[in-house]
Amino acid sequence: MTEENYDDEEIILSELDDEELVLQMHDDLYDGMREEIIEGTEILLARNWSAERVLNEALVAGMTIVGVDFRDGILFVPEVLLAANAMKGGMAILKPLLVESGIEPIGKMVIGTVKGDIHDIGKNLVGMMMEGAGFEVVDIGINNSVEDYLAALEEHKPDILGMSALLTTTMPYMKVVVDELVRLNIRDDYVVLVGGAPLNEEFGHAVGADGYCRDAAQAAQMAPLLLHNRRASRG
Amino acid sequence: MTGRSTRRSGGREARRISREVNIEQVRPFIERKIPYYELLDDAGLELIEKNADTVLEQIGIDFKEFPQALALFKAAGADVQGDRVRFPRGMCRSIIQDSAPAEYVQHARNPERSVTIGGDRMVLAPAYGSPFIRDLDGERRYATIEDFRNLVKLAYMSPGLHHSGGTVCEPVDVPVNKRHFDMIYSHIKYSDKPFMGSVTSAERAQDTVDMVKLVFGEEFIQSNTVLTSLINVNSPMTFDATMLGAATVYAENNQATLISPFILAGAMSPVTVAGTVTQILAEALAGMAYIQLVRPGVPVVFGTFAAAVSMQSGAPTFGTPEPSKIMYLAASLARRLGVPFRSGGGLCGSKIADAQAAYESANTLQTAALCGVNFMLHAAGWLEGGLTVGYEKFIMDLDQANMLQVLLQGVDLSENEQAMSALHEVGPGSHFLGASHTQANFETAFYRSTVADNNSFEQWHQEGGLDTAARANIICRKMLDSYQAPAMEPALDEALIEFIGQRKAQFDDRDY
Ligand code: B1M
Repeated sequence: MTEENYDDEEIILSELDDEELVLQMHDDLYDGMREEIIEGTEILLARNWSAERVLNEALVAGMTIVGVDFRDGILFVPEVLLAANAMKGGMAILKPLLVESGIEPIGKMVIGTVKGDIHDIGKNLVGMMMEGAGFEVVDIGINNSVEDYLAALEEHKPDILGMSALLTTTMPYMKVVVDELVRLNIRDDYVVLVGGAPLNEEFGHAVGADGYCRDAAQAAQMAPLLLHNRRASRG
Repeated sequence: MTGRSTRRSGGREARRISREVNIEQVRPFIERKIPYYELLDDAGLELIEKNADTVLEQIGIDFKEFPQALALFKAAGADVQGDRVRFPRGMCRSIIQDSAPAEYVQHARNPERSVTIGGDRMVLAPAYGSPFIRDLDGERRYATIEDFRNLVKLAYMSPGLHHSGGTVCEPVDVPVNKRHFDMIYSHIKYSDKPFMGSVTSAERAQDTVDMVKLVFGEEFIQSNTVLTSLINVNSPMTFDATMLGAATVYAENNQATLISPFILAGAMSPVTVAGTVTQILAEALAGMAYIQLVRPGVPVVFGTFAAAVSMQSGAPTFGTPEPSKIMYLAASLARRLGVPFRSGGGLCGSKIADAQAAYESANTLQTAALCGVNFMLHAAGWLEGGLTVGYEKFIMDLDQANMLQVLLQGVDLSENEQAMSALHEVGPGSHFLGASHTQANFETAFYRSTVADNNSFEQWHQEGGLDTAARANIICRKMLDSYQAPAMEPALDEALIEFIGQRKAQFDDRDY
């Protein structure tokens, strides 16, 4: 960041009008400023904005810009991490309000690497991008057995199950997990997304996942669409 | 030409054959005769050693879910809290220096192919671990056991590769829990060079040991080393139970391991060269010390695999300057410690055998040669950050491997090499092509590339205008067509097949 080029005169968020404030929040998300995002969220709510409107216009719209610039190679991973963290700060305030007003939250995902696999850099990036897209992410870490996944689904009741594998020796385990979901008759309760460098589209289909994501950005794009379709198909 | 040639040499036929073997002489390994390139002076290296000791003392290393390691470290004087082990300053270094050999012989099925790893030697092995293959029809697909055999055969036929490697590709068509049998068998059967064992579980490591017992005899392997296997550190600062389990089996059986911090710098280590090397040293010291505690004196190698992640996507990148600097420093540190060093390879991020692949690989190979790598894994075939192994890339890398051998020979100052007779004979003007010194030396004077094309534009064009990869494709097909298996006692083959059959029957196929 080249701070010299930027005239950092003190901005008082509460003195901005709605439109200016939303634009400022887009910039603050971009710059990963968690405290400012929390403050901006509170100000908008105090001005009688609905939680849903704050979420969509200030946070999601801001993170969309972050996503585009990440894809285009302008923003770097550590910056996106900060942005996602700022987004989470705002989400923490909005979540209870959204629930209260019966608005369906963007979604919740449980993600972990499969049994035998400790490669977690990719999974961490996916978690980061999903949080950036407004999802609540429960990261259950590495080396997860069927039982671990089931327990996490039971406990966190997510919309999406994400599995990551980097080894040809562990990726078939994804099928073991999906088969178990089918056997328990709960497969359709979740959107199942899979990823990891040695997988491909075909493999995703073969294990019975709803989607194979080639990278973190694609996961964050695909998840809301699949979730939307699923919700729509259920009426 | 001056004078008459003294002897007939067999005419066209004989000459054609003699020109086919392109390298001066087939050697079991490279003996280096050039100095090491040192990137830092002693004071700089001491600073890194001091910082690594601070990491070991204050932060510590996790040995996850592996009580045996915790107990051994505790008994040796380390502070153990949960899975975290903290080491008094200098403890790991002195354990290693007390018993780890500076070099060792890894015996091959064919004694002429046994290699010495350490000191001034360099041993090259093919790429490791790729689930995908880029095949000779230009397709990228999951690798099979057939590909595995092909790669073993190619390595066997390549004078520049001294070692058959390990998981030269993942044979995805064989059940996960039985693959290791077919892989080890292929190394034994289709090559007679030394090879690496399975590390994906302690049980599979034990199967590997049991198979080499059939080849070399139980007694022999307990006093000699016939396997060198790859133990990756789950950086940062963590050893996992899978790798420790396999490492322990090998150490207990007197077999060597490469303790390799496998670092994507920026994600798995700090974003700086000095910080990453500090972490690498700390991790390698802890891992090698553990091996020495399991069995003092068993060969162990200081490994380093470093790539930088793209800060823009998290993807690993290769052939860039920072990992080269890391390799130079780690090599110096290994020498100061007094153990063999593993690093290098024809590393690249490219999907195909193109210019990116060639540049990136060349950068890594040159660094590995100059810094003093003793064991070079991934010397041939590596593409796409290790996700893919390519046949054409394999052939292109072999050419580089052969060149390294010549480079490391250094400069010969014998009377013949001084070439004063040629200088006197030719004098000012004229040319050297017909000089008797040239006649006596031309055949082996300059390295002849196997894949480069230096013909006229017109000739190149007439011959199809092929690029390097296309030329490598032709060479590869020819090599595979002309492969002839090394001799093997039928009784040994039967014993191996019987062992594998029995073991495979003992448990069901599993795909994870
Ligand atoms: C919704 O769900 C989703 C959606 C999208 C998802 C998703 C989930 N998960 C991923 N995505 C996608 O989004 C991410 C971001 O854009 C992307 O994630 P990726 O993970 O693909 O990308 C990351 C950002 C960067 N990429 C990576 O982090 C992986 C890089 C490579 C080089 C790699 C690394 C770094 C490591 N390794 Co390992 N390692 C390799 C890898 C080769 C490669 N080039 O991929 C591979 C996968 N490893 C391999 C091997 C062999 C091994 N490794 C091992 C260990 C390790 C380290 C611990 C050293 C380290 C991992 C550290 C860590 N904390 O993750 C061992 C096994 C450990 C275990 N039990 O899991 C060991 C067995 C080593 C050994 N001694 O033999 C090979 C695979 C072999 C096979 N059978 O398939 C390998 C191809 C390298 C090689 N040639 O050897 C997408 O795939």
